[in-house]
Amino acid sequence: MTRKRRPLGALTPLESGAAYGLLALALVFALAPIFWGLSTSLKAPLDIHRTPPSWLPPTATTVNYAKAVFDARFGRYLVNTFFVMSASFALSMALALHAAWATVRFSFSGREGLMLLMWATIMIPGIAVVVPLYMAAVDLGIYDTLWALVIVYSAWLVPTLVWLLRGFIAAIPIELEESARIDGCSRIGAFWRVTMPLLRPGLLAAGVLVFVMIWNEFLIGYSLTLSDENRMIQVGIYYFMTETGVEYGPLTAAAIASILPIALLYALLQRAFIQGLTGGAVKG
Amino acid sequence: MAGGVTAMPPRPQKLAVLVTPYLWLAPALALVVAVSFWPLGYALVQSLHRSDYLDLGTFVGASNYQRFLLSEAGIARAWNSLVLVAGTLAIALPMGFGLAMLLNLPIKGRGVLRTLLILPWLVSNTVAALLWAWLLNGQYGPIADAVAQIGFVMPNMTTSSTLAMPALILCNAWGAYPLVLVFTLSALQTVPKETYEAAMVDGAERWQRFIRITVPLVRNTTLVTLVLTTLHCFNGVTIVLIMTGGGPLDATDVMALRVFEEGFKLHRMGIATAGAVVIFAINVLFTVAYMRVLKNEHSA
Repeated sequence: MTRKRRPLGALTPLESGAAYGLLALALVFALAPIFWGLSTSLKAPLDIHRTPPSWLPPTATTVNYAKAVFDARFGRYLVNTFFVMSASFALSMALALHAAWATVRFSFSGREGLMLLMWATIMIPGIAVVVPLYMAAVDLGIYDTLWALVIVYSAWLVPTLVWLLRGFIAAIPIELEESARIDGCSRIGAFWRVTMPLLRPGLLAAGVLVFVMIWNEFLIGYSLTLSDENRMIQVGIYYFMTETGVEYGPLTAAAIASILPIALLYALLQRAFIQGLTGGAVKG
Repeated sequence: MAGGVTAMPPRPQKLAVLVTPYLWLAPALALVVAVSFWPLGYALVQSLHRSDYLDLGTFVGASNYQRFLLSEAGIARAWNSLVLVAGTLAIALPMGFGLAMLLNLPIKGRGVLRTLLILPWLVSNTVAALLWAWLLNGQYGPIADAVAQIGFVMPNMTTSSTLAMPALILCNAWGAYPLVLVFTLSALQTVPKETYEAAMVDGAERWQRFIRITVPLVRNTTLVTLVLTTLHCFNGVTIVLIMTGGGPLDATDVMALRVFEEGFKLHRMGIATAGAVVIFAINVLFTVAYMRVLKNEHSA
């Protein structure tokens, strides 16, 4: 019997062949749109609309990237996106750090209820609130400003950040803060001076969260701004596409280039990310 | 954590100390309430009134809800949303689950395959819609050409009344299956090897191990991914807006897109907010139902 010679649970050649076959099919589905976009972005303008279409560019060129990525408008969209990210990070972290600290280090009546109230908002989809938010932004005179985006994104990030930072704060012994208080710090002063500097790993996780959420967001970015100079990266790509006489070369180049930062981040943090998920599952 | 002491020990407290935690929690709470709860409340009020662009018009009772949900177009729209979600789940769930099982097997190249298969997850909805529209393009797309090679004519999927919905489902499922894959894979990896080995020693066949060990252990995770995928697809505007815009002739008019169009194209805020309230209610119902199921699982 061949079964006995193989280690327990190993695959027969037939089984592993079938597994690879299915994985190959899935890989085609997963990569075809990206590959077609990448191929288009590397084609010369005349080759893009040639029939029959070819999966590989007859001659590869980077003119589309030069056109899209160094387009003055895209530079503007990038600056906007990074500005909104930084401001949202600063605002949401300032609020979430203190809220997390207050709920970890104090027990007070209504604590569970108030946290639940905050976390319940994760369930509210953007499409359910976007129309009133638009109306409010117009009323308040912040429609078509990046600050409107900063406020909404920060509010969406705070509940998740509080949840994340609570874990990091709880892991730091309270005795550290207490000894700082003996040395004359106030409670909040002890948090600022002793605990906050120790939260650096939490800052990284929070930063990634903020980056990914804002980089890929479209609905709010589209609905609360109007003028070209206030567009975020995804909104810019959308308008690029809907303009008359759209050029698919630069468009696909911009689209492919926009995937890169997230893909890079994922590649760098993949191990930590998967372990984080698994760790959570074990604890649960 | 030993003793679990993370809160300050109780001591005689002055008023200033009593309010300290509320004080530091308040700003975060205020922002969240202002941006998430206030709009819901406002939507509820506006949905019962006619709208005069941004101003509240006369009270009209439930007529906005009737127009959004119970009109002929409203029913067709609800059906379209259902088809989109069901179609997406029908591809994304088995695909994500199956791929997680395959990637949990002892085969070479697992790491690379996993990274490549997760790639669609990292692509924004905007770019995903753009790439799929271009891939399925009836004139210059490679798929239309391949279909033509074998003697058929493929219409432009995104402008065909029968094929526009399948095109949306493809794009949605493409973006959705990696989440199922990642969650299921990490759940599978928490199953101790010894459990399987013990079952193998006892002579359990592969399919028996699957039904008796794997399925019960990842069922909750699958349920979570089912809910996340359903809500993401149901609430999503971007892909539909970019690929079909609800067309052709309302063939892919779904509830979330309609709210967007009523609000930002037609400026009928009454109907838009009624739709927003309906969508929120469906989200709550779905989440509550799912938490019920999870609770029952735990107590069972």
